[in-house]
Amino acid sequence: MPENLLTVRGLHKVYGKRDSKFEALRGINLKINRGESVAIVGKSGSGKSTLMHLLALLDRPTKGEIILDGTNTSKLKQRDLNKLRNKEFGFVFQQFFMNANDTVLNNVILPLKIAGVGAKERRRRAMHALTIVGLESKAKNKASDLSGGQKQRVCIARAIVNNPAVIFADEPTGNLDSNTGAKVEETLFSLNRDKDITLIIVTHDEELAEKCNRQIRISDGRIESDEDLATEREIEAEIAAENEELRKNHKTGDMDADGLRDDATVSHVKVKEVK
Amino acid sequence: MKALDIIKEANQSLLRNKLRSFLTILAIFIGSFVIIISTAINAGVNDFIDKQMESAGGEDYLEIMSTATSDSINSLMNGEVIKEYDKKSTNQSDLQITDEQVEKARKIDGLQSIDLMTQFQVEYFKLEGFDKKYSSMGFNLMPRGTLRMDLTAGRMPNNDDETTYEILVGQDYVKYFGFEKDEDIVGKKITLYAPETLKCSMTGNADDCTKPVELTIVGVQAPGVMAMGGARINVAAMNRITDINYAGLPNEARVSVMATAQVDPDRIDEIKDKLAEIGLTAMSIEDEIGQIKTFFDAMLTVLKIFGGIALVAASIGIINTLLMSVQERTREIGLDKALGMSNGRVFATFAIEAISLGFWGSLFGIIVSFLIGQAVNFVTHETILSSLPTFQLIIFRAVDLISITLIIMLIALLAGVLPARKASKKDPIDSLRYE
Repeated sequence: MPENLLTVRGLHKVYGKRDSKFEALRGINLKINRGESVAIVGKSGSGKSTLMHLLALLDRPTKGEIILDGTNTSKLKQRDLNKLRNKEFGFVFQQFFMNANDTVLNNVILPLKIAGVGAKERRRRAMHALTIVGLESKAKNKASDLSGGQKQRVCIARAIVNNPAVIFADEPTGNLDSNTGAKVEETLFSLNRDKDITLIIVTHDEELAEKCNRQIRISDGRIESDEDLATEREIEAEIAAENEELRKNHKTGDMDADGLRDDATVSHVKVKEVK
Repeated sequence: MKALDIIKEANQSLLRNKLRSFLTILAIFIGSFVIIISTAINAGVNDFIDKQMESAGGEDYLEIMSTATSDSINSLMNGEVIKEYDKKSTNQSDLQITDEQVEKARKIDGLQSIDLMTQFQVEYFKLEGFDKKYSSMGFNLMPRGTLRMDLTAGRMPNNDDETTYEILVGQDYVKYFGFEKDEDIVGKKITLYAPETLKCSMTGNADDCTKPVELTIVGVQAPGVMAMGGARINVAAMNRITDINYAGLPNEARVSVMATAQVDPDRIDEIKDKLAEIGLTAMSIEDEIGQIKTFFDAMLTVLKIFGGIALVAASIGIINTLLMSVQERTREIGLDKALGMSNGRVFATFAIEAISLGFWGSLFGIIVSFLIGQAVNFVTHETILSSLPTFQLIIFRAVDLISITLIIMLIALLAGVLPARKASKKDPIDSLRYE
């Protein structure tokens, strides 16, 4: 039985207000298991980046909830979210985002520095991460001296230095030619295979998406297709049932009178019940 | 993230833009330098005055003038050269201290003695063992009481005996007459030739109208502000010389605008008030020192204000530098936040960058002030202050340096609040998208 890592229920994200209101996500339900490699695919403007930002806890949803490893993240304070990201997630971006003037090693160390790990320990772990991506010999080099592919592998080293549960990769090969891109892909998938790190890749590159064991297609803020559509229907039905129950409770006056009907507040009630 | 890491990080990012950081630090340095050096001069001057006065004693000493005189000195100080006629303050006789006032003053409880300081003249003097006549800058009074001069040899002149004439000379006398040691001049007789003014105005020949007063040199005074003017004679000698000066003249001709009094130091304020009631203004040693200090303080405060203005300008420089830094590092801030750095830490990084700018600026201020201060102290010792070996014009006190540094760091922190807030409020996603 695969272990559930992420559950997303009724996720909505609205940008702007009133006239300039734009609904980027319109009710996303999905489950991701530990060790999966998932590609989130879609045209630009489909909402795939927004979905990734929400999954990565970089942004908060307007409605809905994300449950990570059994923790309802909408209940967490910003500080705890920061800690969670620092401990559980690794990030790989299309534009690398490295400090070009600093050494490769110092770039890899960054998440550990933020976590407050001691100097000796973080050095050791960063060297280990660099060894995994095959760049230990470049540790002392300036980041700006590396090639594009090497840079992205350093970024992968940075993403795994904290032993994360999930790596979020936003178009990881978008800035690379096909040869170097292939090497970066290989590094990512081997981490997924060997270290059981869950991989969530946002891409519009179909070839890369095909290499993942699951593709989630996003269109107009909704899931268009997913191998695991059954789960989604399940969640949908769950939410509907909860709403129904809520409505009943509301009528009998058991609940607060503030119309707890939207998906976000469903979770509110549920957590209360669990306690 | 650990505090030490943040401090390192902040200083590394200052090093990333060396020229920009340097110029900002330079601006802070200018302000801190001015403040540090003027504080050090202030400390030097105050220390000097204190040192001079420490050994001076004189808690029982009052210098007295008529209130009218004191008022006109004050108006002169205030630049009022001409003013409306006021009988009281312009009348010559009011400027003098009258016998009547002296009589009243003598009756004040706690006032032990009062001596009028009549203007006295000495035509020339002779020193035992030397044939020639010499003239000097003048002779001051060594008043009664505990007032002490810094001595290098001998003792203070005695004021107990009204017939013993004694004098305290400055080191200039030792040098001029070629004595090897200060002790060598002690015990020598010095004869002052006082003119009989009335007689002299008729004969016109100083030799025919002067009378000698023989004094014993009892001590040598160390160089210092108190020694300026050369020599000090005791009250008995002064009275003797004035008697010669005014021989044959009516008593009214003796013009005294000043007097000195020996009083009970515990009742000095009460006595000052009582003297004021009879139209006399008295100043204690403390008052006089206070006046000198106030003068220097005021001068140096002006300098410090200039330094403060420079610091205000510099803090605008800090704001500017950091705003640019925040702008440039938008994506870096985005990444830091995505990787879990809290807003507080982002704020702290920039705040500490600001504090570091302040710290380096003031540290350079301290170093440069110190070097310049040492050089100035050395040069002044060799030249204009060579006669005052104990005087250091510029004194650096650790407490001053530390508090100035802390204040400047605080100012820098305040300047850093705006940019640091801006950085901490940045949204990680927007920041990562920033081109």
